[in-house]
Amino acid sequence: MRYLYFPGCTLKTTGAQYDSSAKAVMRQLGCALVELEGWNCCGATASDMISALLSVSLAARNIALAERDEGDLVTACSSCFLNLFRVQSYLKRDPQLQDKLDVVMASIGLRYSGRTRVRHLLEVIATDLGSRAITEHVVRPLNGLKVVPYYGCMVVRPYAEFDGPDLPVSMDGLIAALGAEVVPYIAKTRCCGGALIGSKKEIALTLIGELLIQAGNADCIVTVCPMCQLNLDAYQGEAARYVRRRFDIPVLYLTQLMGLAFDLPESDLKLSQNIVSADRLLAKIDRPAVAVHA
Amino acid sequence: MAETKAFHLTREMLDHSFAGTVAPDREKLLTCIQCGTCTASCPTAFAMDYTPRQLWRLIQMGLREEALHSRTFWLCTSCYSCTVRCPRGIALTETMSALKRLALAQGIRTEPSVFRFYESFIDTIRRHGRLHELEFMALYAGRTNPLSMLGQAPLGVVMLRKGKMQLTPSEMPGKEQMETIFRKVKQLEGQA
Repeated sequence: MRYLYFPGCTLKTTGAQYDSSAKAVMRQLGCALVELEGWNCCGATASDMISALLSVSLAARNIALAERDEGDLVTACSSCFLNLFRVQSYLKRDPQLQDKLDVVMASIGLRYSGRTRVRHLLEVIATDLGSRAITEHVVRPLNGLKVVPYYGCMVVRPYAEFDGPDLPVSMDGLIAALGAEVVPYIAKTRCCGGALIGSKKEIALTLIGELLIQAGNADCIVTVCPMCQLNLDAYQGEAARYVRRRFDIPVLYLTQLMGLAFDLPESDLKLSQNIVSADRLLAKIDRPAVAVHA
Repeated sequence: MAETKAFHLTREMLDHSFAGTVAPDREKLLTCIQCGTCTASCPTAFAMDYTPRQLWRLIQMGLREEALHSRTFWLCTSCYSCTVRCPRGIALTETMSALKRLALAQGIRTEPSVFRFYESFIDTIRRHGRLHELEFMALYAGRTNPLSMLGQAPLGVVMLRKGKMQLTPSEMPGKEQMETIFRKVKQLEGQA
């Protein structure tokens, strides 16, 4: 299977290990992620504040580029997914916006028709491939590992059709397929604070602290959003001081966890790029299978 | 939680056409039944001056200035919890974005750091087409508190060392198209 791949800015910077592990895992599953040439920033949560037309234009340029090729446009970033996906929803509600968008697109020699499907990587892995395909590739089952499935907001809200908006389950099945134990987690889709970590830090640290407290004594948290991962991982120490607790819980991308079960090399998974060390986690799954079962 | 604020209502304070100007749902916003599901779902309501429910009430009443000067919509993280749960089906998260736009158009910046953060992000995108973290953080610090760069430095060093941050912006093919898009959007919005 071949997919057009929209990495987005964070997967080329602070979420580099997501980019690398996603490509490696998909390759292992027999799928190619072909990077969309000439892609631009989706606008994140900033463009909509300036103007709805700007927000739609920045996202639509990428979709228009994808429309010159074949295949679904897949992104692993939840904010990119939201921005790219909502173009059609904005246009449907406001026909005048479509006319203006056409003018903007024409000014850069492009045309947006809306024929390319925008999808999140989680949806592709969960529905196109599914748990059975995942199980077939597991060579190092993650038996005994307690994993918190943290989805974050934008992968399931408000547009996702493949899973529920409050307590989604698509990632739970994938984690179980790797042999790990899925920890019941009430805060599955509670916000991590998003961009407020940069502008209103105390508010974000409060939310991050709450999410980490809820994770209890699990072995790791797994996420599919680079903003969630950054907030829970890079700001874990600060959040601990702010809410007066101790945290030491690795925050992995789903594709990193899958890669561990597939026994892919560190050069693909780049666990060393995570801030909270995954060493204790690795020690746990490095034990021979008999010892884990005992 | 937000405290109750008392003020004397006068006829001059009311702008009954206001709700009709708040996109995207305009008249639909008037159907809000004040159930409070939005507030109960909101992760940042604890830090707001008006809870989301109270903000919709201000808009319904036509208390335009009070609504636009609130910090509530600046603290919205766009998590869409309220949107998917609203029993009236009102696009509440997008209404929060619309309030940011209306406030900015009037020069109201009740939470300047939030505005500067987004503005610095957008300026970086306009120049490079893709995010350049270092320039973005430097722009933001310069516009808010330059000394805050010192506080950010340790994490920045870790990010650089781990190869998660670049000193120079990545080269986006066709990045000059960004400027064309921004100008065209401005021109079209000017006509509106």
